[in-house]
Amino acid sequence: MAKKTLNLMSLKGILGAENVSTEKEKLMSYIEAGLVSGAKPEAVVRPKNTAQVTELINLARSERMNLIFSSSSHPRFHGGAIPDHEGVIVDMSGMDKIMRMDRRNKVALVEPGVTFNHLTKAAGEAGLKVLMPLLPRSGKSVLASYLEREPILIPKYHWDMTDPLLCTELIFGTGDLFHTGSSAGPGSLEQQWKAGRVQKTPMGPGQTDFVRVVQGSQGTMAAVTWSSVKLEIKPSVHHIWFIPDKNLSKLVDFTYKALRPKLGDEFLILNAITLATIIADDEDSIPDLAAKQAPWTLIYGVSGYEYLPAERVAYQESDLSKIAQSAGISAISEVPGCSANRMDRILSCPSREPYYKQRPKGAFTDIFFLTTLDRAQEFISVMKHEAEEHTYSASEIGVYLQPIQQGRAIHLEFTLYYNPIDEKEVEKARSLFTSASSALSKAGAFYSRPYGIWADLAYSKCPDTVSVLRKVKDMLDPDHVLNQGKLCFNKEVI
Amino acid sequence: MALSEYKRDMQGCSRCSSCKWVPFNQVKSWRFSKNCPSISRYNFQAYSGSGKMTMGLSMLDERSKLNETISNIIYQCQLCGACDTACKVYRDDIDLTEVLLELRAKCVESGELIIEHMALIDALKSEGNTLGEPKGKRGEWADGLKVKNINNNTCEVLFHAGCRSSYDPDLRDTMRGHVELLLSSGINVGIAGAEESCCGGRAYEIGYRGEARNYAEDMLSRVKSSGISTLVTSCADCYAHFQYLYPRMGMKLPVKVMHISQYLEKLILEGKLNLRHKIPLLVTYHDPCHLGRMGEPFLTDWTGDKLLRPMRMKRAGRMGIYDPPRKVLTSIPGLELVEMERIREYSWCCGAGGGVLEAFPDLASWTAQERISEALATGAEALVTTCPWCERIFRDTLAKTNVSLPVYDLTDLVLKSAGVPEHTKV
Amino acid sequence: MISDEAYRELENAIGPENISREPAIMDGYAWQALETTDPDIWTTRPIAVVLPSSIEEVQAIIEVCKKYRLRFKAFSTGWGVHASVGYENVILIDLRRMNRILEIDEKNMYAVIEPYVCGAQLQAEAMKVGLNTHMIGAGCGPSPLASATSFQGMGWDGIYMSTSGRNVLGVEWVLPSGEVLRLGSLGSDSGWFCGDGPGPSLRGIMRGAIAAVGSLGVFTKCALKLFNWPGPPQPEVKGLLLDAKTKVASNFKLYLCTFPDREKFSDAAYKIGEAEIGYIQVKNAIGLMLATMMPHLLKKLSRADALKKALGAIGHQFMIMFAAHSQNELDYQMKVLSQIVSENQGVLLDISQIRPFYETFWWGLVRNSIPPLIFRALGNFHLGFGTDESFDSQSFAKKLGEDVKEKWIADGAILDDLSDNAWMFLYENGMWSHYEELFLFDHRNPKQIGAISSINKNFLQVTKDNNICVGLYAHEPAARKMFSPLQGNYNHWQKKILHMLGGESVSDTTYYTDEKDLLQNASMFCRESLSSGP
Repeated sequence: MAKKTLNLMSLKGILGAENVSTEKEKLMSYIEAGLVSGAKPEAVVRPKNTAQVTELINLARSERMNLIFSSSSHPRFHGGAIPDHEGVIVDMSGMDKIMRMDRRNKVALVEPGVTFNHLTKAAGEAGLKVLMPLLPRSGKSVLASYLEREPILIPKYHWDMTDPLLCTELIFGTGDLFHTGSSAGPGSLEQQWKAGRVQKTPMGPGQTDFVRVVQGSQGTMAAVTWSSVKLEIKPSVHHIWFIPDKNLSKLVDFTYKALRPKLGDEFLILNAITLATIIADDEDSIPDLAAKQAPWTLIYGVSGYEYLPAERVAYQESDLSKIAQSAGISAISEVPGCSANRMDRILSCPSREPYYKQRPKGAFTDIFFLTTLDRAQEFISVMKHEAEEHTYSASEIGVYLQPIQQGRAIHLEFTLYYNPIDEKEVEKARSLFTSASSALSKAGAFYSRPYGIWADLAYSKCPDTVSVLRKVKDMLDPDHVLNQGKLCFNKEVI
Repeated sequence: MALSEYKRDMQGCSRCSSCKWVPFNQVKSWRFSKNCPSISRYNFQAYSGSGKMTMGLSMLDERSKLNETISNIIYQCQLCGACDTACKVYRDDIDLTEVLLELRAKCVESGELIIEHMALIDALKSEGNTLGEPKGKRGEWADGLKVKNINNNTCEVLFHAGCRSSYDPDLRDTMRGHVELLLSSGINVGIAGAEESCCGGRAYEIGYRGEARNYAEDMLSRVKSSGISTLVTSCADCYAHFQYLYPRMGMKLPVKVMHISQYLEKLILEGKLNLRHKIPLLVTYHDPCHLGRMGEPFLTDWTGDKLLRPMRMKRAGRMGIYDPPRKVLTSIPGLELVEMERIREYSWCCGAGGGVLEAFPDLASWTAQERISEALATGAEALVTTCPWCERIFRDTLAKTNVSLPVYDLTDLVLKSAGVPEHTKV
Repeated sequence: MISDEAYRELENAIGPENISREPAIMDGYAWQALETTDPDIWTTRPIAVVLPSSIEEVQAIIEVCKKYRLRFKAFSTGWGVHASVGYENVILIDLRRMNRILEIDEKNMYAVIEPYVCGAQLQAEAMKVGLNTHMIGAGCGPSPLASATSFQGMGWDGIYMSTSGRNVLGVEWVLPSGEVLRLGSLGSDSGWFCGDGPGPSLRGIMRGAIAAVGSLGVFTKCALKLFNWPGPPQPEVKGLLLDAKTKVASNFKLYLCTFPDREKFSDAAYKIGEAEIGYIQVKNAIGLMLATMMPHLLKKLSRADALKKALGAIGHQFMIMFAAHSQNELDYQMKVLSQIVSENQGVLLDISQIRPFYETFWWGLVRNSIPPLIFRALGNFHLGFGTDESFDSQSFAKKLGEDVKEKWIADGAILDDLSDNAWMFLYENGMWSHYEELFLFDHRNPKQIGAISSINKNFLQVTKDNNICVGLYAHEPAARKMFSPLQGNYNHWQKKILHMLGGESVSDTTYYTDEKDLLQNASMFCRESLSSGP
């Protein structure tokens, strides 16, 4: 079927002319994300409410439009919101209300445009803490982060892969409105609140769990117009500790033993360059700072809440110290260039500008996937080998291990830094990225968040999953109006 | 009672599946967590205690008819009582074993008979024992023993041998040993010799209640006329029938009934039995069903709503004989006892009971093999029991394999430790 | 009836000893008193029962069903009326022979199991390596795989070990079409550790608040999360249940916390969640305690109004167990609990000091062997609500539940359990909570079984009128018809999922997509083919 010309008039009719843009600069900001390039969008639109989003989707169905939903501001890094095909970017950042903040039930209802900065501030005022990934960029949407399953820093709060996302308001590609979890009803939100309900049960309604289907879908199944997210108590006492060591296996051993009885809060392992990138005051000092760090540094936090906070911190620190001792390591309160207090501040906020990964060389690309902690060294060796093959210095590759699901798995992330102006570096980074992604996949890396080429790598391994996913896609977005070409869905333009 | 009088029991089943497992508090591993040989072997729900009750209900509600397939399912069950014990952990109002017994009686009444059981009954009628062996040879196991015959002597204790032990040549030494221990302890014991006949329990279990009554009456008469004060038996089956079945039929024996293991414990405590020789052996003990959970004395027949029945009046296996054999074993110097996972009220059946050995020998062997595996898993050097049926099936099953695991009766070890040299089984 | 040709093909596929169509054997699967509202108790009889031992055999069975236009339903331990079939032409797939624990990954804390592993078995093996498994409210006899993939999954260890639906990792799933789907990392040959992705998670079509109750194929393996167990690898326990004796390790404690009113009871629960203490936490319903431990006394109590009132006044209580990995942790938890209870004007009773009750109760809670005692009083129970939401909303619903029950107690339809038979606990350190109002009845009593559908309707209506979160019964056809339109027409999507997975003509959809009117004496089964069914 021949592609239709974009119906700008109808778009403006739904959203208002001021919320429909075809400005070149704006359009171009959606073409690239790191090494990923996409198609140039035809317009960027900004809805204000659920009704407009619904109308938009219905219009897309009749006009054969490709809609790419985006909530975070520029720059983008992984390509989920970069169009594979021409289409309309739906910028949800204008829907930025915190609809509800509930201290007692530790939950907030947020629209897509709410950023970590915004929510952290509001939550803090209520005595609550937002569960954050590692230094999200300042314009990052909370909802987008959770929809993408970005790993949070505190494994003990990550009970299931959907966490911290709870209930959602969805509009499927069919134009149908649907509420997931206990937000589904009976009753409107106001009626539910009157009955003491707070949209905290993530599963359902009935025998469906569409929040799981939408999460990780890169906007191919539904638009999300609000979500309830779980928050936690803001600690009244909070300490950060470092365990630097040259031996990753000792840190792995410690991590297993600490997370098993759910000790500690923040828990992550960084290599020298990643740590230096995070703590350096300026870009130039990164290499020297990295040289001063131990090859690996584990960072963990300990919190006290309302009751006997100091005692809680004390017993956890004591117990963790014993575990560290048994692993042949010990915790300290400072690493070169960063005190515990400073790290505490760093971890509790989004990244300052420029985004921390852009500081070493101006640009970067990540390779991340899920595996189990006991296999981390194996994958690090694969990466090291790939780096050598591409004459890339392994010590210049960032490594970040984030335990998830209370320690049952990890998000393992490699960061390749490169100078975006130096074409050779760009090419080298691209080449290593491609080769290493494939090698890691062959070694068993699970690309749970399959951006770009990872989609091909991931889906080539699971044809049964692909078969069913395509059926789900056809069910929820039969006209394929949502982010065409992504994941394993039909790459032809409708 | 007729099957229909147990309708409330059958209807009461809530399908909780407890009847298929060792009481959950006592599940110690994946491997040894099941309790019912029937469903463990054949897998269909119908083979479980719950399943058989539902079959009974299905027939009472005329949804299905009794036929050979159903009859086989009913009889492919050792009546070991494990399902009942597990159910009674939670329920006061369901008497599973009684339902199973009623199903068998119904089979017999309806003419759905098992050929091998018919042969057993014929043997019983003609020779007074379930093995079909000549009645006149029943007392030969005691030839040469200086033991009185109660028919023409006054004794305090009657030692009842039981059908299996009377005729099984492999068990003869043990049988003689039982009596020798009693005699050497100064007990005024006698036997009935060739006049002894079957307790009738097996007949009852396979549904032939009339025959069972006959033998119970015979036994009652013999005991009454003997003047004894105590009846001791080494057969766990007989023990259970004397303790439970007879009073239930209104024929409670007017004497104290004891199992040999209890009597040996008594002798040790009274200092009449001196276990002086060391036996450096690691053993494990198998609780015979009929001595344990099925050997619980008959409690008062509750006639009211079973939901209101006091716990002390429900047959739950609590008052079976578990500790005396263990105390005897641990009294033997050098002997070490290691327990299997399924013991006491939740012991796994040997496989021989309920008419299964006679009619479904493959199920009997399979069941025994499972128990032997459990014994081997303890690392024990020998398997000890105190029932001739258990001992027989363990020996026969082991003989078909190349596994070496000696099987002893409790008395064999006592004899050795007591220094009775003629007995060389240990 | 199953045709001889179909029967023969099934025999060839799985062996003649693993199939039956004997009516009395079929009836073993058709007597389902638990959670029924049908006075008849007998449910539809399957046309045959098959016992596969492998995924290949399961697939072969499905192929035969497709060929002969038969339906199938998977079955494991069979707890509850929803385990039965609802149509006249259903093959019941009894998964009893698929009963292995395939792996326990001690470091990464998960186990891979087949359908007929029971909770007690899994726990016994997990404890040997210092781990424990979440246990569900039905006890440790049912199948954790069935709970996680096919039914509900809440239990009183939810404060520490969440709920079955959130503990699922990789899954091996035979779809109604006969194709095999392996979820998450398993499907990518990366191991069992993650049930989601790549990209969208197909766990989202496998289940929701409840799962598909056998309507979406057969689950042949799954990985489930395990949790820390700081107790002995094999606790030495004597006794069977109410006579249990054991030596409880000193790093465990059990408390009963009683509060003066509903508000303080709720406040304390919230604070316990925030403090992140507890291993097991559950409302202690006095009515339930008495019904299970002392049913005869409870029956007498119904005539003692003053005593009932007094007991009602102390009804706002819960039990909490600590299982600390260190003395430090135990000391901290004890002190915090003490403060919370004190601040909320409660009374803290250290059950650890009450021997032998402590020993009996401790193991009964940990092993989860207590639940089937619910049948002791009258032989059966049912429940109202069964909701998952904030603790405050549960407290609100609890009051409504008591009001509903009082009426039916007065009528003699259910046991007088002081209207206090709530099963209520926190999930995930108080993230949310569960509540169901149990009521006990004798299904052999015509008046009582006859009243159950009306009581059910009463609870459903109260749910609707008060916007209470829809609960456990959402798998039932009448509840689905009532609530799907109020919850985004989820059944519309469920029907699409069924179609998408090839289940329309082969699945028994009674507890997944079927809808039925809620009548006064509605049968929850569909013995005739439904006009609204596939």
